[in-house]
Amino acid sequence: MYCIKCGVELADTEKTCPLCGTTVYHPDITQAHATPTYPPFVKEKENMRPQGVLFILTVLALMPIVITLFCDLRLNGAITWSGYAVGGILVAYFVIVLPLWFARPNPVIFVPIDFALIGALLLYINLMTGGDWFLSLAFPALGIMGLIITALVTLMRYVRKGLLYIFGGCFIAIGGYCLLLEFFINLTFYDSFSFIWSPYPFIFCFFAGLALIVIAISRPLRESLHRKLFI
Amino acid sequence: MAHNNDSRAGLRWMKLDNAAKIYPAARRRRWNNMFGLSATMSEPVDRDVLREALDTTVLRFPSIAARLRKGAFWYYLEELRRAPEIEDEGAYPLMYMPFERIRKCALKVLVYENRIAVEFYHALTDGNGGLVFLKSLIAEYVERRYGVIIPVSDGVLDRREAPRAEELCDSFLEVSGDVSKSRAEPNSYHIDGVREKDGFVNLTTFIIDSDLLRETARSYGVSVTTLLTAAIIRATCRIQDSHVARRHQKMVKVLVPVDLRRLFGSQTLRNFSLYLTPGIDPRVGEWSFDEVCHAVHHQMALGVTKKEMTMRLTKNVNSEKSLIVRVMPLFIKNFVMKSVYDAVGEKKSVMDLSNLGIIKIPSELEKYVDRFDFIIGALPNTHENCAVLSYKGKTYINFTRDIQKSKLELYFHEELRAIGIRAKVESNRR
Repeated sequence: MYCIKCGVELADTEKTCPLCGTTVYHPDITQAHATPTYPPFVKEKENMRPQGVLFILTVLALMPIVITLFCDLRLNGAITWSGYAVGGILVAYFVIVLPLWFARPNPVIFVPIDFALIGALLLYINLMTGGDWFLSLAFPALGIMGLIITALVTLMRYVRKGLLYIFGGCFIAIGGYCLLLEFFINLTFYDSFSFIWSPYPFIFCFFAGLALIVIAISRPLRESLHRKLFI
Repeated sequence: MAHNNDSRAGLRWMKLDNAAKIYPAARRRRWNNMFGLSATMSEPVDRDVLREALDTTVLRFPSIAARLRKGAFWYYLEELRRAPEIEDEGAYPLMYMPFERIRKCALKVLVYENRIAVEFYHALTDGNGGLVFLKSLIAEYVERRYGVIIPVSDGVLDRREAPRAEELCDSFLEVSGDVSKSRAEPNSYHIDGVREKDGFVNLTTFIIDSDLLRETARSYGVSVTTLLTAAIIRATCRIQDSHVARRHQKMVKVLVPVDLRRLFGSQTLRNFSLYLTPGIDPRVGEWSFDEVCHAVHHQMALGVTKKEMTMRLTKNVNSEKSLIVRVMPLFIKNFVMKSVYDAVGEKKSVMDLSNLGIIKIPSELEKYVDRFDFIIGALPNTHENCAVLSYKGKTYINFTRDIQKSKLELYFHEELRAIGIRAKVESNRR
């Protein structure tokens, strides 16, 4: 076969002319099949080097820490407001960076660690501000949220099926969490134990969760929804 | 020079030869200087047999089956403990090999269908050294696969023999003299273009009847290399004409490596080649094909002599021998050598044209090998390169290109057609 534009003889492997880019075509001759000279192109995944990312994140975290500490010490002669900023940056740093140290980070381990770090920061703020809200509000609220999220990631990682059950249960748990949160807020800051806002998210989450569980149980309903809502 | 020749005393290590010293320093984030040689067999490659053949062959070539290691003042080569893994060939030749990998093993053995390809880091050896390795590997493979005896001749070495000292030596140091010659020369025009995405390298192969090529070259009174160089120069001039007004044009020169083994009677398997950069100045007017051929022919004839080459290589060897350079820590040396490479390394030529000539192998091996290919990769600022060899009456001209437009290949083909040479073309086009 010859290129109809530049006239070069082409190997049977060519679909377009390598010299001028013209599609190989002849009205009377069918091009013989030939094995390509090289395997097809597969785009390689470009993996970022974790050490490089770690270095950049460390520098990005260190810069504001040094600047805030320096300013605070120059202005006040002691660590006052900068402690909160530094604590916040350190918590964010460890939440983002800790998984990068491992080849296969397991969220079941890192999620509770992240909540523990946030708890430690809140305890520090509580102590520094002389507040008494940690034990009655922050600790239980954060602890329960930590338990719900840890349970969610554990189930998602180790239970391959039943996502609808898992999310249904999670919705109901979050609804219940809203009620508990308002209870702890009332316990800490008010004397009243009336629930003002939390019943609304509770009702929504409860029924949404229940709906997911019903959909999980009912196969015809699931198929009908899939038929109606597919994208 | 190889050290610890007794393998019981430990792994052999070798200083980099004079030509190799620049390659580790000149590396880029996405580029290392590699070249490839391949043999297309008559049947699909049996990987298990190739594995066994490779295990045997690497023991014979401690300077090629080697890895690059770092000393305080210089890089050096260390022979491999075991042969590298055999890999699948990718969609294009000479895929980027990270420097970290070169420090573990500086060559790759690849297989695709009937083809056995070996890609060498240039600090190990040059095209002729690599060809001896490939010939010996396929001889061992054919012996094991088909049970035939391949004689030790035509560049096939005995794999059971111990490596000889003269194969491992740095011949540059042995033949250098007292008088050196400056490397200064004018810069050349460079082809530029939009880079291919994902680091893809386009390979375009021109397959030409060797007799026709030789006869045509003879009719111009020049060698095949000179004829092809002239065609590339003319093609490049056409590209320059379309971009640059004649009075502002630069010289068009092609870098042609010269194998020094025959000139100096060396047996080394390390790098032992130098280069010439024949070319023309397009500002003086239109150059006919005949004129370019004769200009290149005479420039080559003046350069390829023992004395001229000795003076040129002595200049490089003197740089290496300088006490100041030797005591400089490696990281400073790398910085200096990279700066020199950036400043002059690729500016003296538009591209390389490396011709390994006619490949001869023992007749017992010939029926199992359909074809050979030689490929040199694009350089950081030289986006096209060309490598040539001839085998079984056909000449294979491989153009590699890391930019999108293939104007040079198109014009090159038009130049060949104008002098009556018909070529068949194949590629790895996506």
